[in-house]
Amino acid sequence: MSLALSTLLFEWRRYMAAVMALALSGLLVLAMTGVFLGIGKGFTAQIERSSADLIVMQPGAKSLFGGPSGVPRRFIPQVYNHPEIEEVQPFDMAGGSFQSVKDVDPTMSQADRARQGAPKMNWVSTQIIDTTPDAVTIPIDYSQELIDALRQPFTVAMDETTMPKLGVKLGDKALYNGKTVTVVGVLRGYPSMMQPTIVMSRDTLRMMGQADTGPNVGPLMVKLKDPTRASIVAAQLNEMGKGQWKVWTRQQLADANATALFEEGILVIIVAGCAVLGLIIGVAITWQTLRGAIMANIKEFASLRALGVGMGSLRRIVIELSFWVGIVGVGAAIFLTWGLSVLARMGAVLIVLHPVLLIIVGAFLIGIAMLSGILSMGILKKSQPADLLR
Amino acid sequence: MITNSHGKHGDAAIEAKGIVKRYKSGRGMIEVLKHVDIDAKHGDLTMIMGPSGSGKSTLIAALSGLLRPDEGSVAALDRPNLWKLSGGQIDKFRLDHCGFIFQGFNLFPSLTALQQVTTVLKYQGLSPDAAKARAKLALEEVGLGHRLNLRPAALSGGEKQRVAIARALAKDPQILFADEPTSALDGENGQIVIRLLRRAATEHGAAVICVTHDPRLEAWADRVIHIEDGVIIDDQRRTPNPDAALASH
Repeated sequence: MSLALSTLLFEWRRYMAAVMALALSGLLVLAMTGVFLGIGKGFTAQIERSSADLIVMQPGAKSLFGGPSGVPRRFIPQVYNHPEIEEVQPFDMAGGSFQSVKDVDPTMSQADRARQGAPKMNWVSTQIIDTTPDAVTIPIDYSQELIDALRQPFTVAMDETTMPKLGVKLGDKALYNGKTVTVVGVLRGYPSMMQPTIVMSRDTLRMMGQADTGPNVGPLMVKLKDPTRASIVAAQLNEMGKGQWKVWTRQQLADANATALFEEGILVIIVAGCAVLGLIIGVAITWQTLRGAIMANIKEFASLRALGVGMGSLRRIVIELSFWVGIVGVGAAIFLTWGLSVLARMGAVLIVLHPVLLIIVGAFLIGIAMLSGILSMGILKKSQPADLLR
Repeated sequence: MITNSHGKHGDAAIEAKGIVKRYKSGRGMIEVLKHVDIDAKHGDLTMIMGPSGSGKSTLIAALSGLLRPDEGSVAALDRPNLWKLSGGQIDKFRLDHCGFIFQGFNLFPSLTALQQVTTVLKYQGLSPDAAKARAKLALEEVGLGHRLNLRPAALSGGEKQRVAIARALAKDPQILFADEPTSALDGENGQIVIRLLRRAATEHGAAVICVTHDPRLEAWADRVIHIEDGVIIDDQRRTPNPDAALASH
């Protein structure tokens, strides 16, 4: 074991401040990015967790919400032409007003009614499932009971975190676009971050008069007979489409959705801001900690100098030490973020830890540690062996 | 025995001429070393004695390439003037030829006795296995064969100093500098340490230069040099008594 590593392990308390600074810098960036990714996942969960192996969109689409995602209805039979297709259904979305129903005396003043918790109207976004058995539009974690319940006309379901916002409970009646609906299902893990989202069957949406009935429909969700052949079939379908459409595998689309999120200027600014803050705080604390720790061993370093070990070798020891501090910091950052994401999930907030993100943040933290190491090298000048002679 | 004999006993290992070192003090300069000429021979335990502030530590710093003198030259082994070399070359010279023992032991708290010694040997270019074997021998030579895997916190003061001596001797140095090596130790441990230095000179042919203010160590010396106010006032050869006893402090 090298001198640097054994020093870090033996005197770990001395390096704790640096490790924690790195871990918290990492947590800041990972958690911020993870929350945004989680919000993004909230928007696209219905499709990303469906049993669709492929999604067909317009050629110009960059992600589910980036560019034209809907397609002409005639694409449906065209996609069916491929022999390996099991089912094709267009995704459908709508929106409307949502108001809980509560018996409040309408003759009371507005202030009195508000005091009694009179219902407020919310704008919601609406997503659909088909209720036929094993339909491609059904997210794989929906229970059979939920699907059965949504099969009833004028029923809706929503995430547990959306319910207090809309002022309803399971079994309550509410008004959607002025028509009475019943809340028959509670979802878990589909938090709606900005606009509340509700789910209903395609048939209910049609009865609401909001379903796509015209020549254009939403992105096509495609189920294959053999899901393992998704990328092969996607390529074949792209060829068959002759450029009219673009076929995505579910994973490709999920990745594109996550990437598209960071084309939003404001998110990039927030995440970059966190990264810069993390960098400054991380470098400052790690640098000072390393300096202090090296200073504590300065006589030992000086005795190595006396024995002829050159300054370059001592600098390498410091660099190696800061590298190991970085490695431990990355581990601590991942652990802390994981812990936070578990806590967040209990509060129904999704923090998504993407492996690519972990690698980037890991490299970022090791960079901080090494930079701090380079900064703290100056202190080695104090290792003057002549000072040891008294 | 771990080291080879260096040079012929009696050959000069180090020879300094006209060493002057001045320090700034307030507005003026204090001359700590005033044109000192000194030499040390292979196989000799040369003791430099003097009261504190006499310049003895500054002298060995200048002899060993740690502190550049303002005037004078230091010929060491085959180098006509150490101070004509670059900093890197002086480091290399020390790495290849010099050992150091300090009053404070300066051992890394995280390393075991064996690792303290191998760390330095690795910088000399030894393979890990060779370094380990050599370090083991050196530690056995100072009587710590049974304490190889203990960290400094688990060692007594005398044992720590013996690890430091092993660290210096394992390099097989031709010149060994020791600065007050016994002053932090009790009589018994001091005796062990001075005997080890004596042996490094007699058996390994190293030129051992030991700075001390402890007159009782004189008994082991081949040569005692007294320095006061930056001037050598006395330089006498004597016959060492290897069986001398160092009474308890």
